[in-house]
Amino acid sequence: MPNIQYANMSHWKSIPFKKIDNFRDFYYEDKTNSAYYSDWDNILKYQSALGFNGIEIAPWDMADILPLFGSPENFTAFAKDRGVEVIGMFHGAHASHDAGHFDEAVQSGREAVDTIVRFGGTYMNTCPTQNYFGCGPLSREEVQQCAKVMNEIGRYATDKGVKIGLHNEFFCAINLPNHRELIESTDPKLVHYCIDTAQISIMGEDLVTFYNDYHDRISTFHLKDTASSAQPDSLRYSQDPEITDDGTRWFWEPGMGNLDLKGLYHALKEHGFKGWMSIEYDGSPDLLASMAMTRYYLDNELRPIYD
Amino acid sequence: MNPKDFAISLDLINRHYQEPNRNRFESKYFWEELYPLIATAGFSSIEIPYEPVWQFGGRSGVPMNRYCINTKYTSAAQYREVLSRSGIERVSGVTFDPNLFMRNDNIHFYFGASGHFAGEALAHAADLGADYFAISPSPYYGRIRQYHPDIDAQIDMFTDRTVELLSGLATKAEELGVKLVLRNEYWSLFGGERVLPLLARLRESVGLDVDTASLTVAGIDPVQFITANIARIGCVHLTDTSFADSADVWKTPNPEHPQPQATQVFRDPGTGSVDFAAIAATLDRLGYSGPVTCSARQTRDPFRALLRTRAMLNQL
Repeated sequence: MPNIQYANMSHWKSIPFKKIDNFRDFYYEDKTNSAYYSDWDNILKYQSALGFNGIEIAPWDMADILPLFGSPENFTAFAKDRGVEVIGMFHGAHASHDAGHFDEAVQSGREAVDTIVRFGGTYMNTCPTQNYFGCGPLSREEVQQCAKVMNEIGRYATDKGVKIGLHNEFFCAINLPNHRELIESTDPKLVHYCIDTAQISIMGEDLVTFYNDYHDRISTFHLKDTASSAQPDSLRYSQDPEITDDGTRWFWEPGMGNLDLKGLYHALKEHGFKGWMSIEYDGSPDLLASMAMTRYYLDNELRPIYD
Repeated sequence: MNPKDFAISLDLINRHYQEPNRNRFESKYFWEELYPLIATAGFSSIEIPYEPVWQFGGRSGVPMNRYCINTKYTSAAQYREVLSRSGIERVSGVTFDPNLFMRNDNIHFYFGASGHFAGEALAHAADLGADYFAISPSPYYGRIRQYHPDIDAQIDMFTDRTVELLSGLATKAEELGVKLVLRNEYWSLFGGERVLPLLARLRESVGLDVDTASLTVAGIDPVQFITANIARIGCVHLTDTSFADSADVWKTPNPEHPQPQATQVFRDPGTGSVDFAAIAATLDRLGYSGPVTCSARQTRDPFRALLRTRAMLNQL
């Protein structure tokens, strides 16, 4: 059993079919490759074939997955039949910095935990509050309020066998000036951390230093590369910066940017990391190609360092 | 009718479903490259599907709601100038469907959110100078039943609340000078001819939006339907299909994607079985002079669909 198991953070947009029984006919209707991206049967088989045996789903998938499969349990069984397990779900803790939204933020987090349990997952990677634009800068009290919400959700999650991991975006109201303050204000027994390698680097953290500093808090990763580390405040705090107007990408497949991922893997080895790592391809024009590129890079560059 | 006056709906960009290169659709540059191509294909007016979802999660590059337009262009007027410089003279209409809000067992949430965002969409239509605001009067019937298994026993309640919502919009539409029309998708609680009793409960200013593919899927002849209802028709959508719903797919939660025998319900105009020549002749014969919009929703190749649509119109 390797120390690291690999999953795919689901960035598939709506997949409209469960399984296409008449694949050839569907293809021939207009002879394009749309047919290859239209059913979960094939999407999960692509993952399985490329050695990504876990999937981390997203809350925005629910509106499509649930009508299609009827229940979380049905989706989990369908994925398991194809060699893929649901490891968890992303969650956005909207307005958790606002004391007036405490009950709502905690309730929403608890409901997300319940959903993950039904999928059989054990991770809930959680963005601590909304974007900086329109919300930041947060006061010290607001950062503490975020921590209070995370602790409360973390307590409930821990009781249910789910690890919540703080997950920071480069454009979040929790940002470089208060990122570490939030982590250190949460209870290590209840709240863990998911390193999104590109997001924290764009925010201005040094990836390897950050991992070494917090290795005992790290529950899992979103592994992706970037060629845009340490962006200025003016960009990170601007309105809707994640999707650029001109198509510039923040995120790349591992090895296609300039992060020190090999340095990270040496640090993982040093600290003996064990667990799931989700590969993330947001911004890719071709998720299947990205998955294959990543598998090659993992097998030939990173796994020889630490597996 | 002159096909050169027909609009094309931006629903030809398949924003919600996975396909290679889909990530482009979230960036502003994609749309600003698209507008001149639309004009080059002979369309000088467009229809915009209003989608609140792009308001959330920082996806404001998709120009489908007021938040996105204000974020990227500061105002609808500025956006119209960008369109104009690209050869798009006008936004003929805005559409709105409430499927996003049928997501739990709270019917009050559905009507509250739908009413709020439909009002936003209608005001946005006015800001854009649109002729019509076309609303789907219900979400997918199968999606309602998923979250409200007793919907068949609650149809009177659902209809009454829909009438209340639409009546409010009708008043606002009159004030804004925008024509409110009801879509009649085959999957709706008010699909096909089921829309007629609903329409009868609304003021005369509210019209009917004929969707030729939806009628065909429901087994209704578009020519006969248009002929029978010409007095209330306020908009025509030229959509194509080769699908006949013989297995009550319209009652399923995902009715535009029939399971398990997959098919593309809405085909690129001119590639399905809808008789557009007969429909155009009927509209001409009956003296229809309202808006006509072509739609290639579900296309697997939007740029081919644009030219296929123009090629079809050239045959009329």
